[in-house]
Amino acid sequence: MPTPTANAAARFLAQASMGASRAEIARVQALGYAGWIDAQLAAPRSGTRWDWLIEKGFNGATFRNSEQGFDACAWRKLITAPDTLRQRVTLALSEICVVAISGLVGAPWRNFSAAAYLDLLEDHAFGNYRNLLGAISTSAPMGQYLTFRGNVKQNPTTGALPDENYAREVMQLFSIGLIQLNTDGTAKLSNGNPQETYGLNDITGLARVFTGWDFDLTGTSRDTPDFLRRPMLQVASRHETGASTFLGSTVPAGLSGADALKAALDIIYAHPNVAPFISRQLIQRLVTSNPSPAYVGRVAAVFNNDGRGVKGNLAAVIKTLLLDPEARNDSYVTPSYGKLREPMLRLVGWARAYNVGSASDAWAIGNTSDAATRLGQSPLRSPTVFNFYRPGYIPPNSAMGKLGLAAPEFQLTNESSVVGYVNFMQRLISKGIGDVIADYSSLLPLATNSQNLLAEINQVLAAGQLGSSTLGLIKGAIDTMPATTPAALNNRVYAALTMVMAAPEYLVQQ
Amino acid sequence: MTTDISRRAFLQRASALAISGAASPLAINLAAMAEASAANASDYKAIVCVFLYGGNDYANTLVPYDAASYNSYYSLRPNLAYQRSALSGTVLSTASAPVDVNGVAHQYALAPELAPLLPIFNAGKMGVLLNVGTLVQPTTKLQFTNKSVPLPSKLFSHNDQQSEWQSSMPEGATTGWGGTLGDLFASGNGNATFTCVNVSGNAVFLAGRQAVQYQVSTNGSVPFAALQKPLFGSATCSNALQTLMTQAQPNLMQSDYARITQRAIAANDVLTSALGSSTSLTTPYPANNNLADQLKMVARMIAAAPALGAKRQVFFVSMGGFDTHDGLVTVHPGLMKTVAEAMAAFYQSTVELGVSNQVTTFTASDFGRTLSGNNDGSDHGWGSMHFMLGGAVKGARYYGTAPVVATNGPDDVGQGRLLPTTSIAQYAATLGSWMGVSNSDLLTMLPSLANFNASSRNLGFL
Repeated sequence: MPTPTANAAARFLAQASMGASRAEIARVQALGYAGWIDAQLAAPRSGTRWDWLIEKGFNGATFRNSEQGFDACAWRKLITAPDTLRQRVTLALSEICVVAISGLVGAPWRNFSAAAYLDLLEDHAFGNYRNLLGAISTSAPMGQYLTFRGNVKQNPTTGALPDENYAREVMQLFSIGLIQLNTDGTAKLSNGNPQETYGLNDITGLARVFTGWDFDLTGTSRDTPDFLRRPMLQVASRHETGASTFLGSTVPAGLSGADALKAALDIIYAHPNVAPFISRQLIQRLVTSNPSPAYVGRVAAVFNNDGRGVKGNLAAVIKTLLLDPEARNDSYVTPSYGKLREPMLRLVGWARAYNVGSASDAWAIGNTSDAATRLGQSPLRSPTVFNFYRPGYIPPNSAMGKLGLAAPEFQLTNESSVVGYVNFMQRLISKGIGDVIADYSSLLPLATNSQNLLAEINQVLAAGQLGSSTLGLIKGAIDTMPATTPAALNNRVYAALTMVMAAPEYLVQQ
Repeated sequence: MTTDISRRAFLQRASALAISGAASPLAINLAAMAEASAANASDYKAIVCVFLYGGNDYANTLVPYDAASYNSYYSLRPNLAYQRSALSGTVLSTASAPVDVNGVAHQYALAPELAPLLPIFNAGKMGVLLNVGTLVQPTTKLQFTNKSVPLPSKLFSHNDQQSEWQSSMPEGATTGWGGTLGDLFASGNGNATFTCVNVSGNAVFLAGRQAVQYQVSTNGSVPFAALQKPLFGSATCSNALQTLMTQAQPNLMQSDYARITQRAIAANDVLTSALGSSTSLTTPYPANNNLADQLKMVARMIAAAPALGAKRQVFFVSMGGFDTHDGLVTVHPGLMKTVAEAMAAFYQSTVELGVSNQVTTFTASDFGRTLSGNNDGSDHGWGSMHFMLGGAVKGARYYGTAPVVATNGPDDVGQGRLLPTTSIAQYAATLGSWMGVSNSDLLTMLPSLANFNASSRNLGFL
């Protein structure tokens, strides 16, 4: 395999990492795509968000009922962790198996609960999807978010039945989806119609399994956050012990809560939808919004069997989807190929390209959810379990929509958010936020020569996607700016970065 | 009804366009309808959809109050039920009581936290729609059980039922009935951009085939800093920025993105000026209430409607948090309070602006919820109760059919999930008709409406 060009390496990094930098581009060129992936799969894990929160004292009593520290620990990892592929997959998983900090209710230490959830996703990012399902299904944050923590069995006196929330969403969103799929992700049709995967009775059946789980406070209390990273415990007296029937199978009566959960997840996991349903979404998060059925099929086949008979090997799935010809080969790049970069990744891409740091280690970027003034998106702050955007979102009144094509990230894109983003980045690029500031030492020496300056930015941030016409437009404008003082050179760098990051040719990753 | 689209003009226009071959049949259809509608809409009218995301718990919103129904309600959700005594201040009194399928009369009370809406109801400016939900056609319980008639797809699923409410289709729809109203009326508005306005994000409800929803923040349109002030001191850079952000590209998503930016820039200039020159509101709005902030922005835009040349507008605001599987007793009353205070303030500001008879506000939500609870919440349901507010609403009364309060009753499809007896299409048709859409165009706007008896398509609340 020939050495990838720098633009090709940067394009690969837009799919496989939290963002390119000169150094990372050089590593991809040195190792090749597969070698780089293997190195990332083998890389040691960066420190946990949880440990950072502890180190910074966020377990102090004053933070008990706050979210403080969470945004900082999340951004810090996204921007600085060397295991960049693991961070990218963790972020993708956080948008499939969604938890949001605002819904971590019923206990103190919301900051730690959110951190624990991201750490847990990261534990399994290169692991096995069945293990991931098991882990989230007993995780305290998920128990809080989808309200099965504290669920009780049917109460014959009050008539109360088990809470159905998790039973529904674990099937609809985290494993099989609503309609029967072929292995290539297309709908299985019967007389021309899609077939639903489950009905109301399946939900009430499965809901019986998710009873009896509660925080594990053994030897501890709510005065420290520790219980939030322990798997939940079964309280036998609250667990429904009768049989539970769903998806045409039955979890037999009399099993312990833990065994019933295992049996139920095995039933769900055996469904042929899991591989195409999850594979397609991972492709959408990393590579392109409308993968061909053949591409989905190739990745789903590896999901179903990694070559050693194992289903759900995420490392193999990730490697396959990134090395697939449809991800790597330019001949697949049609006018509808690619994806809108999600706002969080734009910020982190800039930060990684220009060595953004926080001298005090405070990482005070904060919650960036406000669309009118910030990014309209922030880590683990989806408004609902349906993520910031749906995988099937077709933007109305759009060229994509006319072709019936999805563009999930456009669900966040509107007249307020397009402006809020540029205004926010303009400020961030020039002033930083708190002490979170960039190091433009790689750009300032180029600032007197606008052509070289733009070539460098275009390559690292945009994988060379800005065409000559747009580059000419920006160059013409930069050339009218003074270049005689350090402040003037800074302004040239700021203006060039702002214009590139506002350009649609950058915003859509091809 | 103030407008009646001329069938003959419509056909003449359509055939003229067909000969020219200038547009697809559908575009012809809509262009012609829009022209005809615009011709007659000289007055101002707006509808405002208040969407309660998550699926509002109907039983603790409009609480059964007559002794028999209350007792059933209480026995089915003892952990979640209001005490009957807590409801005495918000009992709805009406000239005639709504009856259920068995002919039994019902009485209801608003959740106590909805008290700010009670004076509006009593003044005859608010109506209640009973057991409304997504339906393909009138459906009996037997038909539901036997699956012998088409049902809305993906029942009980949040995203799909939100989409069914807004667009008559599950997720993936690209046009909603609010947007179709926009298609019909945009050309009669001075500036088509402000026909369909969303203050809460993107919603398929407001997307038409031509009409594009305009998203505005609670503080108005957001200006590009770099277009207000030279970008890092360079006006040339500001100009270049505007050009590169808005120019068409071969990649479709790039062009789609650029089009949204174009709209943002164009709309900001117009809207900022119109808002600045319009009456400012004195009606007090509740603090720390995002729904109220959104509705206040709607009121400000309605005040600016003359400056914008708007004759027909469709607004969308929303609030989340209604998915009360858990902690219903703790959470739901606060949600009700937020909704009621926001909607009452908005109604008052339409009175202040002298347009209360021209603005109709209505609630919507993914679905209703179960009546029999889980331990501390309720689960996804189907039919629900909704409110219509405004001077044009024939209020202080109920519409639709009261559901029997029972599990395994005639209206129950499981744990008190209501089988709707009134469809969204009828709800939407009544609003559309008031806006001036002809009966035939309502059938185009709402594909399932034809499955309902012609005499039942307009619910009569306007």
